[in-house]
Amino acid sequence: MNAVTLAGLAGAALIGMGLFGLVTHSHILRKIVAFNVIGSGVFLLFGAVARRGAASGLNADPVPQALVITGIVVAFSATALAVALLLRYFKEVGSPFLADDPGAGASQPDHERP
Amino acid sequence: MNDAALALSTFAYGPQTLAAALGAPLVLMLACASARLRRFGPAYLVVAPLFALAACVLASDSGPLVLDQMIYPIVLVLDPPGALLLGVTSLLWLAAGIFAASSMRDETESGAFVAFWLATLVGNIGVFMAADVASFYLFFALVSLPAYGLIVAQARMADSAGGLYVSVALLGEAFLILAFALLASATPDHSLLISDGVDALPASPWRDATIGLLIAGFGTKIGLLPLHVWMPSTYRAAPVAAAAVLSGGAVNAGVIGLVRFFPWGHAVPVWGEALVVLGMSAAFYGVAIGLTQRNPKTMLAYSSISQMGLVAATLGAGLVAGNKGAAAGAALYAAHHGLAKGGLFLAVGVLSGCGTLRMRRLTPFVGLLALSLAGLPFSGGVIAKLAIKQPLGDGLLGALSTLSAIATTLLMLHFLRRVAALAEPRVSNPGWALITPMFAMIAASIMAPTAYYFAIENHRLVSLDAALFWESLWPILVGALIAAAARRWLERLPALPEGDVGAFAARPFGLFARGGAAADRGEIILRRWPVAAGALMVVAIMISGMGVLKP
Amino acid sequence: MIASTLSQLSMRAEDALLPVAIALPVGAMLLALCLGGRWTERIAVAFMPIGVSIAGAVAYVVWRDQRPLVYFIGGWAPPLGVAIRADGVAAAMLLTSALIASAAGLFACDVFRVKPGEKENRAHLGFWTLLLAIWAALNCVFVGWDLFSIYVGLEMLTFAAVPLVCLKGQKETFVAAMRYLLFALLGSVLYLLGATLVYAAYGSLDIGILAQKIQPEAAAWIALGAMTAGLLAKTALFPLHIWLPPAHAGAAPPASAILSALVVKGSFFVVVRLWLTLAPVQMSEAPAELLAILGSVAIFAGSVLALRQERLKLMIAYSTVAQIGYLFLMFPLAIGQHPWASAAWSGGALQAISHAFAKAAMFLSAGLIVDVVGHDRLSGLRGLGRLAPQPVLIFALAGMSLMGLPPSGGFNAKWLLMSASVQSGHWALALVMAVGGLLTAAYLYRVIAPALAPAENAPAESASTPTPKASSRGAALSLALALAAILLGFAPPELASLLAVGAPAATIERIE
Repeated sequence: MNAVTLAGLAGAALIGMGLFGLVTHSHILRKIVAFNVIGSGVFLLFGAVARRGAASGLNADPVPQALVITGIVVAFSATALAVALLLRYFKEVGSPFLADDPGAGASQPDHERP
Repeated sequence: MNDAALALSTFAYGPQTLAAALGAPLVLMLACASARLRRFGPAYLVVAPLFALAACVLASDSGPLVLDQMIYPIVLVLDPPGALLLGVTSLLWLAAGIFAASSMRDETESGAFVAFWLATLVGNIGVFMAADVASFYLFFALVSLPAYGLIVAQARMADSAGGLYVSVALLGEAFLILAFALLASATPDHSLLISDGVDALPASPWRDATIGLLIAGFGTKIGLLPLHVWMPSTYRAAPVAAAAVLSGGAVNAGVIGLVRFFPWGHAVPVWGEALVVLGMSAAFYGVAIGLTQRNPKTMLAYSSISQMGLVAATLGAGLVAGNKGAAAGAALYAAHHGLAKGGLFLAVGVLSGCGTLRMRRLTPFVGLLALSLAGLPFSGGVIAKLAIKQPLGDGLLGALSTLSAIATTLLMLHFLRRVAALAEPRVSNPGWALITPMFAMIAASIMAPTAYYFAIENHRLVSLDAALFWESLWPILVGALIAAAARRWLERLPALPEGDVGAFAARPFGLFARGGAAADRGEIILRRWPVAAGALMVVAIMISGMGVLKP
Repeated sequence: MIASTLSQLSMRAEDALLPVAIALPVGAMLLALCLGGRWTERIAVAFMPIGVSIAGAVAYVVWRDQRPLVYFIGGWAPPLGVAIRADGVAAAMLLTSALIASAAGLFACDVFRVKPGEKENRAHLGFWTLLLAIWAALNCVFVGWDLFSIYVGLEMLTFAAVPLVCLKGQKETFVAAMRYLLFALLGSVLYLLGATLVYAAYGSLDIGILAQKIQPEAAAWIALGAMTAGLLAKTALFPLHIWLPPAHAGAAPPASAILSALVVKGSFFVVVRLWLTLAPVQMSEAPAELLAILGSVAIFAGSVLALRQERLKLMIAYSTVAQIGYLFLMFPLAIGQHPWASAAWSGGALQAISHAFAKAAMFLSAGLIVDVVGHDRLSGLRGLGRLAPQPVLIFALAGMSLMGLPPSGGFNAKWLLMSASVQSGHWALALVMAVGGLLTAAYLYRVIAPALAPAENAPAESASTPTPKASSRGAALSLALALAAILLGFAPPELASLLAVGAPAATIERIE
């Protein structure tokens, strides 16, 4: 097993763990962390692809590196937005969990005129 | 094609008058959006149908009008049955418009009622001219759906008539769009012209499905059993003028549909027989239920179901035999029925506000109109009966047709008795603006079919034959005798619910509500995060699995 | 390779419209963000005619030349560089989103304006910058010809759409926004995973190159499966729709209009690219059937749930769930070189466009109705037609297009799709469309029927309190959108020829 395969497998494992966490955990912060774990897995996978030199036949393909950097920026922004929204959510709702129990019914906004 | 056809036309601007007939009501409808122009609403009702009336004379047999600046070009043309139905329909709209303008001041000055009226008018005029599937569907939708606004204009709050009407109308639209898609797909170049579709229909792989869907779709409009359930409550709930145009005008949109879309000249026995059976059943079923009704407008609705049954049976008989004459006959019968039925609804409006003395004076004229439906000698009805005699033949169907004239006489005499009960000694008598339209309809119901029959069809003067006179008179005499003999019994008949079998139609809605509750529960389950995220994974795995698992 | 690269470098001046279409709204957004205050609104409003003209120019050039516009960023053609490209459908979507974003933005001037003497708050600054960001992101998605630039566009779209949901700052809207964001993040990470796998297998992300290289093999299947699922989550196709109704119903009317009309179309458009342009025909047959089945279920479930709602805006939002289902019916009909495929392609595109106009008009008219009656309970709409005839008329016109009644864009789309399904033997789809139209009519009836009925006690009430009038500018804007949906029914043949530019059948011809 060479380094590229190892990196690929590690990326796949991270993605699997992250997906599991994102689906099962109910704490929103944990979901956000799980999202980042998946993201890291994908970037690791991309790194392995780069090392393999998929496109150009070069020793190391530069395109995935550029894409990974962009991807990290996007994931960072997504996390920032999610955390900011979570802080506000916690302030308004008073709970760090998604209100998805059957009795929540909070999703019917009332547009009464004040 | 356009130029060649133009050269043939009798009147150089014929096609343009078709555009004017549709454009005038549309422009007036837009005028209703302005508060200042809205005040003239009553005048619009009178002016709008005049252009169509002119068009039916000027544009008959002239070339087609083609508007091809669209993905689906609009092709308008006026053939003889179309011109006949257009003429009588616009005449009826004119009469009813005068009636509405003088009897419904509040509604006709408020904009919305006039807009609905004009939209329905555009649709009703348009169906007789449309030569392509897309614009036919457009006009058919216009004659069906905006009428909702007319029906509910004076309806009570809890009245479900409008809802029932619009449900059945939408059902008809759904049948028709499927039928039209099949029709156009069967032509070699997916042509949208009705004539191309009908030419390709006999060889179409979907022939039976297409004809079945056409019958179901147009059946909703003409009240074919069992799609008639909307008719009684609709005509009862609608204001008199609206009931007149719906029963006499809009209903003919269904007739022209069957006339235009059936492959005349090719025998289609199975569907033809089905149509004959349904139509003849309706002819008697309508009378039977109609006799139990108390409200004169509901009785007229059941008479419509019965009369349209005869039309359907005629068309069905023509379909069985591949007989082209059935289409012309059915169109003429429907034209006369439209005038007579529209006039009768206006008569209900006139008589229900009538003093006893005036009532006594007017009733003979109304009776003339009513018995005209049964084929009274020297009325337009006898021409109508003559027109469907040949397609129905002399056998069982001919006998049933004669029997139905007896039944209609019975129903109409009973109707006259019920109307007479509306007289109130103290109510002020109706003005001439209300009475004139009714008399116009009486005159038109005699003259229009006669003129058409002799002018266009070039028949000999058979109507004055003594044998024919007797042939059309005796069913009415028999009917009158039965009516006199069974008078007491008829009065005591239990009143069946209006819409008869429609009462059972409510049952599927209960099922539907239960399905809705299940959907609510499913939604709550789906809203749980693990379920929702899991569903996402399942979709990903399903799509991936489609290829990975394939050998 | 270099020779071919050079030969492709002969770009025309018109091709430069495409980067401008992305860069200008981004620039306007940054400028608005920096200047703040009342400048945000002014910049956004000033950008509207520019954005519409650019989109119009793109559509005109594509139609005139009957070939897609292609621009290579930095002058480098793929595989080394990145291409952006506008075919007929992309150009039509550009123009649609420019028109709707402008109309909704102008409508919002009444809602999100910093009034003199009032302090600027989060909502004021937010709405205008988010509007420009959504505009830029949509343009990026529509003209993206590279899986990664599409990814960036989709992310930008999500990041701008989520705050738009909770701009009003009510508790429920934060719940809706949170759910939306989490679902969208899961979707985007799946999309990125798929894109990575595609690159690993084929060494390119350019759609044109991939369309020639991609084979029905395990890597491609897993990659496309992950990407499609991610996109469906963002498009809210049943059963991945749960986030949509509360999010779209809770937002302010102009925001709802943009979310429902445009934002979901972005990710739908990418699904079309994946299965109808990128994947080979023998690969897309089975998934196309699955997408159509999900679409059919969405039509039924969405319509039935719309019938169950007690609130106007939630009903309209569930109607979006159902109408999204219609979009997916095009997939099995539009694949391959069949004679009906081009009708299905145009029908699908027309459905997306006319739904965008109709739904935007409907949400805006719902906003006007709420302004007049003060609530959005369906049970309290009796007699509305007399009280506020304009919003009811707009609602009914938009409803006509959604039901597929002529004349309307919705009818033309339904007719094209129905003919294609009959000709291709997909009977079930034709039936689904017919029944779906009936269900649509049923839930719209719940608004229109009471609105047309006479009011119970209106005279007494209206005498004591003057009823608030709907804003006439808002009414004019939403009427314009509704009329656009209707006028698409009278669309000239030129629209059909625009939509056909770069349709899948044509794409394959070009490659061969």
